[in-house]
Amino acid sequence: MTTSLSRTRGESAHIAGSPRRPRRGWSALLYILPAFVFYGTFIVAPWVQSIWLSFWNWDGIGAATWAGVENYVKVVTDERLLTALRNGLGFIVFYTVFPVILGLIIAAVIAARPRRGSGLVRTILFLPQILPLVAVGVIWRYLYAADGPINQGLTAIGLGDVARAWLGDFTWAYPAVGVIGTWVTTGLCMMLLLAGIQKIDPSLYEAARLDRCGPIRQFWHVTVPGVRAEIVVAATVTLISALASFDIVYVTTGGGPGYQTIVPGVLIYKLVFTSNEVGLACALATVLSAIILVFVALIGRAGRRNA
Amino acid sequence: MQRRTRLVLAPLAASTLLGIALTACAPGATTNDSAADIEASTELTTDEITLTLMSTPESGAATEATIAAFEAEHPNIAIEYSQTNYDDYNQSVNLNLSGDQSPDIVLLNAVANTVKNKLVLPLDDYAGLYGWDDFFPANQLNQWRVAEDGSTLGDGGALVAAPAGFSLVGVYYNKALAAQLGITAPTSLAELEASLEKASSAGALPVQLGNAEGHAAFIVQLLGQGEAGADDANAWAFGHEGETFDTAANRTAAETLAAWQKAGYLGDATTANGTDLQGAVDNFIAGKGLFLVDGIWDAGKIGDGLGESAGFLPFPGANVTGIGTSVAYAISAQSEHPNEAAAFLDFLRSSEASEQQFAQGFMPNDPTVAVAEEGTLQGDIVASWAKVAEADGLVAFNNNATATMNDTLKAGTQQLIAGQLSVDDFLASIQDDWAKAHAG
Repeated sequence: MTTSLSRTRGESAHIAGSPRRPRRGWSALLYILPAFVFYGTFIVAPWVQSIWLSFWNWDGIGAATWAGVENYVKVVTDERLLTALRNGLGFIVFYTVFPVILGLIIAAVIAARPRRGSGLVRTILFLPQILPLVAVGVIWRYLYAADGPINQGLTAIGLGDVARAWLGDFTWAYPAVGVIGTWVTTGLCMMLLLAGIQKIDPSLYEAARLDRCGPIRQFWHVTVPGVRAEIVVAATVTLISALASFDIVYVTTGGGPGYQTIVPGVLIYKLVFTSNEVGLACALATVLSAIILVFVALIGRAGRRNA
Repeated sequence: MQRRTRLVLAPLAASTLLGIALTACAPGATTNDSAADIEASTELTTDEITLTLMSTPESGAATEATIAAFEAEHPNIAIEYSQTNYDDYNQSVNLNLSGDQSPDIVLLNAVANTVKNKLVLPLDDYAGLYGWDDFFPANQLNQWRVAEDGSTLGDGGALVAAPAGFSLVGVYYNKALAAQLGITAPTSLAELEASLEKASSAGALPVQLGNAEGHAAFIVQLLGQGEAGADDANAWAFGHEGETFDTAANRTAAETLAAWQKAGYLGDATTANGTDLQGAVDNFIAGKGLFLVDGIWDAGKIGDGLGESAGFLPFPGANVTGIGTSVAYAISAQSEHPNEAAAFLDFLRSSEASEQQFAQGFMPNDPTVAVAEEGTLQGDIVASWAKVAEADGLVAFNNNATATMNDTLKAGTQQLIAGQLSVDDFLASIQDDWAKAHAG
């Protein structure tokens, strides 16, 4: 990097700066400086600080004592923290797998036969994305309540035996919360994938039809490979929201019943604000961001390899 | 590939350096405590001064009116009132107290981190000057006495807050439903259990329970302390050395809760765990449930909803006890006017302030202002409070025994009534949490 920099500063810069090699000078760095300062102050510095704090025992107010890796040992041995990590990973099914599959199917159907109502369908499906997640949680808590609309509906169609306070059930609370995640992220996946499908060259579909491919084969052989890049984006975004989920769980169950729906986000919050174990909370947050980075890298790699 | 790695690493390294540069070395702040340098006195300044007070809408309901009465008596002292909701308040109170703009008087909901870090002033000098110890029954002040370690409460510790009014947890009952079932207000545990049995066999729901926030913990505590007595129960709740939750009384209490669940007295466990306290109050008002174990903070709503049918009792047991705490105010260690702030704390037990507290549904510091018609819900509550005070039976909330105890009790009781946890494991999980905070 140094060589290229010194070259641009030298006399021969005009000659050496061939079109194949864009020149890079200090002036270029100046352009990114404002953004870098903001990014450094509000993203990188707090992030580094939280990593730094994870090596201390600190109650958030008084003097801290050095903890070394003690907090990390707790993260990997404390049963409650492991339950939270496991629950967070499990949410990938509800936040990523289901929404990408559902979004792909809906997008393919809408794209194949645009009708008058499809704009409305698209808007309705995307609506959960623009609602604040706290509001989403409050609405679903009402829907799932013992005498809420879902149970009333079940009773009305003769399934009263199945009706229950969903969020208070040790078996059903976790999938019930997961379904909310699916409801929220499906719209986003659909929009991303729809944009991808509309970019696919129509002649590919035409060729497929000439080769006597039915709608399902067209979907598998033209649509899915055509939106691979969009699938990677959708999976990355939703995976982060699965592992970093907080709002919905906090509002609907607070992690209960028992510890059935506890996720790292809620636990980090409680460690800081309830039990004042800021160091341990930062250690869990650091482990969580490392896990997220690994997953994002894996998805990115899978997307590139298959491209 | 190598070039690419370097491109990623260079900014990363630069950012890390920047981050470290922006980060202080050892976390934690030191605060000044100007109030400690001012000698305690009942002589107040004649200068024009302004004090600031922070509270929450629920606890501070009576405080604004009390401030007006105080200002009328002390024209040179103005008190600026501000409030934030309960959750936000608890998260920010310590930051406010340790910051540069600390309020003079703060609502204290828990001693934990605030007292440990010496953010509030010990009030013993003022208690002596104003005679608070003679005025309040011992158990009413003991909740705000904190030992040197910053976590053990009770007799002998430094007083850190003064009460403004009290809450009480007892048993609401539906008088109309009781009359219909031929049940009279139970005065002993045996009578209570007989009523539960009678209601159950008549097809009525005996106990309305909303346990989404863990309120079955109240039932366990009341059953346990009714058997063991207030002093034993407080010793554990206050974190006294060598105490344990695994006592015969608490074991019986947890077993009783589980047995009530099995007998169907609490309704369906999933429904209880999926219903929050306000949902349970709504159900109770709608006539679902003969009894509801809850605090007097819901008395207004229940009185409005059930009218003459609403009744209240102290939880029946071998000992007359109640769970309760006070809305309490403390003085910031950074306050420049601690004497004037203490004068306001003393004003909280005046009849003007007490009347305001009672009007807002709290039991007042001055019990003589608590007058209500006999037979009404308010009358029942006043009578219950008098009985508990007479027996010195007020016990601090087990939920406040440690910073995390509320969560532990919530999860534990949810698992207990759903049959996911044995009584042994339930008791152990509660004691584990306690031992982490009170080991030393």
